[in-house]
Amino acid sequence: MHRRLGVSVVLAGLMAIALCSVSTDVAGAAGSVIQGTVKATGLPSSADAVVYLQQVSGSFPAPAKPANIDQRSMQFNPHVLPVVVGTTVQFLNSDPTAHNVFSPDYEKYNLGTWPQGQTKDHTFAKCAKVPCAYVQLCRVHPEMEGYVVVLQNPFYAVTGADGHYKIDNVPPGTYSVGVWHAKLKSAPKPVTVDGTKPAVVDFVLGR
Amino acid sequence: MIAQRYSAQRVVRTAVIGVALLAIASTAHAVPAFARKYQTSCQTCHIVFPKLNAFGEAFRLRGYRMPGETEEMVKQPAVSLGSPAYKKLWPQAVWPGEISSAVPLAVNVKMAEVNTSSVNDDGSVSRISNDLQFPQEVNIFGAGTLGEHVSYFTEVTFSANADGSVAVDLEHAHMGFDSPFGPEDLFHFRIGKFAPNVVDGFQEMWIATDGAIDSLFNYNPIGVNGGTGLGADALSPNSISLPALVNGVEGYGIINHRAMWVAGLANGVMAAPGDTTGRFDGNNAKDVYARFDYKFGGMGLDGDTGGQPIPEKNWHDNSLRVGVFTYRGDASSIPFALETDSGVNVNIEDSHFLRTGFYASVFYQDLNVFGAYLHGTDTLNTTDAATGALLQAIEPAYHAWFTQADYMIYPWLQASGRYETVTPADPAVQSIRIGTLNMSALVRANVKVMVEYQRDLRQGDNHSLNALLRFAF
Ligand SMILES: [Cu+2]
Repeated sequence: MHRRLGVSVVLAGLMAIALCSVSTDVAGAAGSVIQGTVKATGLPSSADAVVYLQQVSGSFPAPAKPANIDQRSMQFNPHVLPVVVGTTVQFLNSDPTAHNVFSPDYEKYNLGTWPQGQTKDHTFAKCAKVPCAYVQLCRVHPEMEGYVVVLQNPFYAVTGADGHYKIDNVPPGTYSVGVWHAKLKSAPKPVTVDGTKPAVVDFVLGR
Repeated sequence: MIAQRYSAQRVVRTAVIGVALLAIASTAHAVPAFARKYQTSCQTCHIVFPKLNAFGEAFRLRGYRMPGETEEMVKQPAVSLGSPAYKKLWPQAVWPGEISSAVPLAVNVKMAEVNTSSVNDDGSVSRISNDLQFPQEVNIFGAGTLGEHVSYFTEVTFSANADGSVAVDLEHAHMGFDSPFGPEDLFHFRIGKFAPNVVDGFQEMWIATDGAIDSLFNYNPIGVNGGTGLGADALSPNSISLPALVNGVEGYGIINHRAMWVAGLANGVMAAPGDTTGRFDGNNAKDVYARFDYKFGGMGLDGDTGGQPIPEKNWHDNSLRVGVFTYRGDASSIPFALETDSGVNVNIEDSHFLRTGFYASVFYQDLNVFGAYLHGTDTLNTTDAATGALLQAIEPAYHAWFTQADYMIYPWLQASGRYETVTPADPAVQSIRIGTLNMSALVRANVKVMVEYQRDLRQGDNHSLNALLRFAF
């Protein structure tokens, strides 16, 4: 995770200190690492699974700058983009052909169709129950597909092809680690981190 | 072979005819398009192609999908024709699908070195020696899946004729809808032209011999006193015996890994040659068929192994498979022209016919013994071709059976022997008995050399000895 946490986050006790230290490098209790491997059973690649903490106390404002998805070579890039609720995503069309962006999920939206070099924004303002996965589709090219996965907090990571993930700077505490995948699923797992050594949480995804 | 198809069916003599061995080749499938798709050997599915092993049979029944197939088993990634998310949009969007990234084509070629001896009507014997029928047949296949629930199989056959021309036949063209609802593999549907799952085993999937089982598929029931012998070609939808191919729709499925149900509806006997209406079906009535079978032991029909390791030798599948089948045809208003012995031109109509049978197949180590029994009844109405007067109405019956043993000597060498017999309905005709011996050798997994000897066991001067080379790529 690479979201900057605002110093405006005010929490009681150690939690507050830990979180502040994440964003400000203030000396104190260090954040922990949660890492592991996700195995996407039956798929040629274990990439594009989102591993995230289901609920972390505190509020996590969306970043001021929009997140980006590029429509390039007839593909949504990145294929899977996790964001904190409230984040604005800017969709760029880098192809010489016109692309469209719409989603049939939740409140549903259609940003229209636009040419190369232009962008359109959409703000993912709410998510009643994380994760809220919005499939991103293009009416012009039905095979194009991407995902914006809306989460409560910025403690998340996306797996690479080897299935490995790493979430940094997790404040000490006990959490439920969830995993989202476009085709497969797995139950969440509990984890406790104390700010000293990395915690390892592996998942095997199935149908 | 194909040249005979459309001539033999209408010209039927009432005289007792000798059993000229028809030597109608069984249709044979080896589809390396699948080998390419999964980057696997032919022997994953075939014992000696086209004969399928238990895994191959499961692959076929599941709509050309491996048991427990996952995306990573498919080595040629599919091309998406729409994100699966479009399912949520239907009917405001086209339902998503996919196609193979490589053109799923395959070719089979067959060469035959032919030696035959046949007794003519006047008692003389004709002999053909070392006739190099190179090639005798070329088949082009296109087969695969279109996403999770759709499959297809097409085959175009080019057969060389004696006069140098080539006959083209659309032998298969069907689309399958696989497990569209319900538990996996309980419901499959096929539409098109295909080998009905009633008889697929003896026509295609279990047979490595070149000769088809004529006693089941090439009996001709049309005759003034009932059928007299072989003649109609099962590969034609005009077959009035047991059809090896149908134009129709079929449902089938696997119940609890072990049982199989089949129910189908087919056009049946095609329009008479003089029919100018352009119709495919000779009448408005449809034929229906059904089958039920059960497999004891061995691999499940859907490839289920119950967690047991599968035998190291790909043909080992110690098991017993038994089944019953029935086909009811309606050929009313389809005249078969005939000249009686006394020179009267008549039309014979088979207003309805019933074919019912059972079969069994036992695998034990290197040996597979299988066979089928068929009982057929016809309803023949003979009318005077000139006046239309009904001359005779009879309900003749015939029966046929065969048994075959296949023995694997080496993983590349199979010996087969088959005995088949048909007792025609016309009581004046002796039963027909045919023996077939075959030695099949895989030179490579996709190259096969066969020597096949076939003999009319009633008339020893009817025989053939062919050497065949088949390859698939
Ligand atoms: Cu597009």
